[in-house]
Amino acid sequence: MTDLDQTGKVEQALHLRTLFTAFLAISLCGVGGGSGIVWARRIAVENRGWVTDGEFSDIISLCQFMPGPNIIGIAVCVGAKMRGAIGAIAALCGFLVIPWTVGLSLGLLYLQYANLIALRNILGGIATSAAGLLIATGVRLLRPHRHRSASLLFAALAFSLITFGKLPLFAVLFSVVPLSILVAGIEAARAR
Amino acid sequence: MIGTSAPLALTMHLAWVSSISFGGFPTVLPDVRNFVVSANGWMTDQEFANLFAMAQTIPGPNMILMMSFVGWKVWGFPGALASAFATFGPPCTMYFTAYRLWDRFRGARWQRVVRLGLAPVVVGLVIASGTVMARTADNSWQAAAFTIATAAITLATRLNPLWMLLAGGLLGGLGFLE
Repeated sequence: MTDLDQTGKVEQALHLRTLFTAFLAISLCGVGGGSGIVWARRIAVENRGWVTDGEFSDIISLCQFMPGPNIIGIAVCVGAKMRGAIGAIAALCGFLVIPWTVGLSLGLLYLQYANLIALRNILGGIATSAAGLLIATGVRLLRPHRHRSASLLFAALAFSLITFGKLPLFAVLFSVVPLSILVAGIEAARAR
Repeated sequence: MIGTSAPLALTMHLAWVSSISFGGFPTVLPDVRNFVVSANGWMTDQEFANLFAMAQTIPGPNMILMMSFVGWKVWGFPGALASAFATFGPPCTMYFTAYRLWDRFRGARWQRVVRLGLAPVVVGLVIASGTVMARTADNSWQAAAFTIATAAITLATRLNPLWMLLAGGLLGGLGFLE
């Protein structure tokens, strides 16, 4: 598939088709709001090694601060990293074109049978495990930070404000993040 | 009846709200509901709620799909297509520009500081969205136990997540999670 040479010229070797199919897979596997991130990490970080866990966190952070469906931001950013603008478009098309067509057709069918109890139960069960997968992905992303107490503190704070405080994401982002960056800045200044 | 300008009005409105949907598209859903149901009467409240429930359980770009169904309702297939573009177009342009900027300053000291501060908060938010999702999806102790089991198994092994989703669908379909 891709020829990785010693100089790390992965970008040259990577086919647009590979980006397209990888993000097609990510898209189709991501059932339920938010769980796409589980597959994005598994495929782009673990299986393909296109981005490191650190870069992946960067990309998610960046996307959290932008409007729109964040998971699409992952496709755009990973595509842009690997092949520039054309890579971003390839990843985006992979993420959208086929799933959108399939989803639209399935959805029109589903709306007709929305009251079928068995179908609702199956989808409910899938949502139950999707929630667990999302939690596990978050815990995995937390691992690199486990030796810095300020990181754990701010992760716990953001988590609690959403889960227990039930504050909107917007409010949490723009209150906790500046504080967290301030602490990181003080640390960096002291270390110098 | 729906006038000729309805598709245009919907597309413009979606392009606008997608540009300000900080924190993900669900944050502007109340606004879309007002525009579609209350202001223009293109669908009923119940229809809108059904679309949302469906979007939660469908794989792929679910919020884009949900808006496409709204577009479909107003103007058939072209409406669905226009709504999809209006929903992902503006944010995508912003993602790309932001990534380029971020990449240009890679390695700068301020970027290391920002990253160090930003990353743990975002990780906390990811875990939180998992628990929030669990709260909506888990209506029984069996379901909650299965969510916890899924998280534990995923962390302890490298099992393909599809198996857990399949198990969830199976258990749910057989009525074990009620």
